[in-house]
Amino acid sequence: MAVSLSYDLLLLLVISSLDWSSTPGSAFLTDHNRMTSSGRSEKKQQKRERATPVEPHFTECMSRDLETFRCWWSPGTFHNLSSPEELRVFYLKRNSPSSEWKECPEYSHLNRECFFDANHTSIWIPYCLQLRGQNNITYFNEDDCFSVENIVRPDPPVSLNWTLLIVSPSGLSYDVMVSWEPPPSADVSTGWMRIEYEIQYRERNATTWEALETQPHTQQTIYGLQAGTEYEVHIRTKMKGFPKFGDFSDSIFVKVTEIPLRESAVLLTLVLTFGVAGILILIMLIVVSHQQRLMMILLPPVPAPKIKGIDSELLKKGKLEELDFILNGGGLGGLPTYISDYYQDEPWVEFIEVDEEDADCGEKEDQKSSDTQRLLGLPQRSVGCFSADSHPDDDSGRASCYDTDLSEQDTHLLAASLLPGQPEDEEAFLHPDEKAPASETNKSPLIQTESEGKPTWINTDLYAQVSNVMPSGGVVLSPGQQLRIQENTEKESQKKGTLGEDTSKLNKPQFQLLVVDPDGSGYTSEITARQISTPPSSLVPGEGYQTIYPQPMETKPAAPSEPNQSPYILPDSPQTRLFAPVADYTVVQELDTHQSLLLNLPTQQPPPPCLPQHPLKAPVAIGYVTPDLLGNLSS
Amino acid sequence: LKREIKKIISAVWVGIICLVFSSRLSTMKAASICPNDQTGCHLLPLANLFDRVIQHSARMHGISDDLHSEFELYFLPSKNQIGRVSRNCHTSTILTPNGKENAQRIAREELAEIILKLLVAWRDPLWHFHQSMSQHDEFTNFSSNKSLEMSDMVHELRKGVLKVVEKMQMLGIISNSVGDTGSPEALLTSDSAEWRFMKDYDLLYCFRRDSNKIQNYLKILKCRIVPKHGC
Repeated sequence: MAVSLSYDLLLLLVISSLDWSSTPGSAFLTDHNRMTSSGRSEKKQQKRERATPVEPHFTECMSRDLETFRCWWSPGTFHNLSSPEELRVFYLKRNSPSSEWKECPEYSHLNRECFFDANHTSIWIPYCLQLRGQNNITYFNEDDCFSVENIVRPDPPVSLNWTLLIVSPSGLSYDVMVSWEPPPSADVSTGWMRIEYEIQYRERNATTWEALETQPHTQQTIYGLQAGTEYEVHIRTKMKGFPKFGDFSDSIFVKVTEIPLRESAVLLTLVLTFGVAGILILIMLIVVSHQQRLMMILLPPVPAPKIKGIDSELLKKGKLEELDFILNGGGLGGLPTYISDYYQDEPWVEFIEVDEEDADCGEKEDQKSSDTQRLLGLPQRSVGCFSADSHPDDDSGRASCYDTDLSEQDTHLLAASLLPGQPEDEEAFLHPDEKAPASETNKSPLIQTESEGKPTWINTDLYAQVSNVMPSGGVVLSPGQQLRIQENTEKESQKKGTLGEDTSKLNKPQFQLLVVDPDGSGYTSEITARQISTPPSSLVPGEGYQTIYPQPMETKPAAPSEPNQSPYILPDSPQTRLFAPVADYTVVQELDTHQSLLLNLPTQQPPPPCLPQHPLKAPVAIGYVTPDLLGNLSS
Repeated sequence: LKREIKKIISAVWVGIICLVFSSRLSTMKAASICPNDQTGCHLLPLANLFDRVIQHSARMHGISDDLHSEFELYFLPSKNQIGRVSRNCHTSTILTPNGKENAQRIAREELAEIILKLLVAWRDPLWHFHQSMSQHDEFTNFSSNKSLEMSDMVHELRKGVLKVVEKMQMLGIISNSVGDTGSPEALLTSDSAEWRFMKDYDLLYCFRRDSNKIQNYLKILKCRIVPKHGC
């Protein structure tokens, strides 16, 4: 099939090229020249006429009403025809194979026209026309075959008139409705012809016409005409489904004069709209410029609990040393100033204060009681002054101590075993009054600590990890950051260089943390040797882990005025035997070369020796190691 | 007991509401069709049907026209094929009125039958035409979509015309002699082979002509039967 088609194509191409030169061209331009307009075809014709001598041919065949049609011919150039009557028109109706050529039913020699009336017109049947001259010379062109429905050009409409539809509020433009009647020759009422109309209009002196879409109704609206200008309108028709347009109708003129009365109203509306727009813009500008204030008013920030003396910004930035300094710095007297500096603007800041016991501590003057102790209500064994008396009424969550469960040894045992920071010496625990700590090591693989004879309780800080809940209802805490370093020389042998892995909150199990107790008896020198400098803190012998036990304090006369006693956690080395229970929450200070973490364990300030009314200001809450802090450290 | 009562009451309510709505709907149906003109009111739906069918046939004619001109682009545009085509239309055997007067003189039933015959006669040829079109790579997708559309439209138009005929028979406008007499079997036996030998171009030309005939006849029929509604 494709081959045949292409063959056809070639053949036809060849034939047409041959034909092109000889024939005068298709005058009718019916089906196949749908694309071209009649004007173009006429131009082609004229070209050919000038170019070569042309034989007689038909110029056009047209029907106006789909019932009759006419054809016009021209005699051509190269024949010297005396009279136009010499040429005769013959037509052929191809509705049967045995059709023959018949002569034109009605001549009009003046116009060189042949008219076919209704009796001789059949639609949908091809007609072919030819001219015959003298001596039966026929001039026949295959192109002069057509069907009548394809050559219809309807007449233009009649009785055009226009009415003003509406004028715009400004009075500058208006809409017009144009109406007309269908051409009388076209039989629209019986439905025989279906006609579409096309309106074109232009300004009086313009050259180009504007055309609206063809539509089948007998009226149409023209929108947007300018007042004061005169417009010219005309209409033409065509058959629906066929491309050929008829002639244009006569033009009508449309004009509307301007109406100036409406200007004031227009001006007023304009002013109003612009004013409103301007005001809106101003409001927007105000809002944008005072955005923050407005935001503060509309969406006040949510107050968050703050810890006195600690600026959350410092925590965010990871400046631990400063934080340390702040917390422990400048003695106790330094804190209030910090507090006032940080929080003077924020009256809503509530401080969680950690108070200290009063001076009537007696032996336990130096012993501080952490909040957790009070929370737990654990027996402050040897201390008799843990009474909830002189606490300022702060919302610090302190609990008064009570003497419950004191006697239950199992709970203590349990607590002892669970709490890593506990003095490993259960026996010491069990026998609270024994001074001599048992030399047995605890069974727990956790940190060995120097345990005192005194059953020490956890010297935990404000934030401590709950390790377990006792059946009796109490809460067992892990030691937190407070290291309980028992000065037990007897325990030296028991010390192992272990890990603080469990207790540290750092997720680096491969690191070994070693808590070094600078405070330990006899080890301070080593510790100082190992000391890696952290600026604000200098290891002072005698300082270090602040314990609750007055005893170590007694032996160490050094005043715990130095805030910063950071026991350093050094990587495990055989030399260091000292270790202390590592808190659950520790701060990683640095990474040293061995990829070990150096923890910074700020400790609480040692309570001043029974200073009256000395609330402990520094709860040492640097327990949190957040990932960004870690990042800061490691970087 | 309370629950039962509630159920009964709700059921009764639902029933009442349904009744109201259905009655409203039925009244609405009757009301919306014939607002003011009472004389030719019953013919309005028929006029609407006619309009739709005529629109359909106009569209069909448009598509066939487009396809025909596209085909002419492939073949020679200058050569007028009209002269040689006329003999080959397979629908030439169907006697159709070729003028306005003939079309007006003919009986309505006959006219309707002619329309149906024409539609039936083109069903298969168009389908095969579409098949052959889709196999050729030369023709664009656009053309092949159009040929499919054309083939579908013939089906749809035939159904539409049958509906119109039914309606007319119901209204007593035409007799019951028009039916599915234009069944494909009757035609196929007579000229089953003719259209297969037609070339594509000739087929398109013939269909274009016939679609115009159908459009014309439909319009004439409408204006004869329901002249007041838009003629």
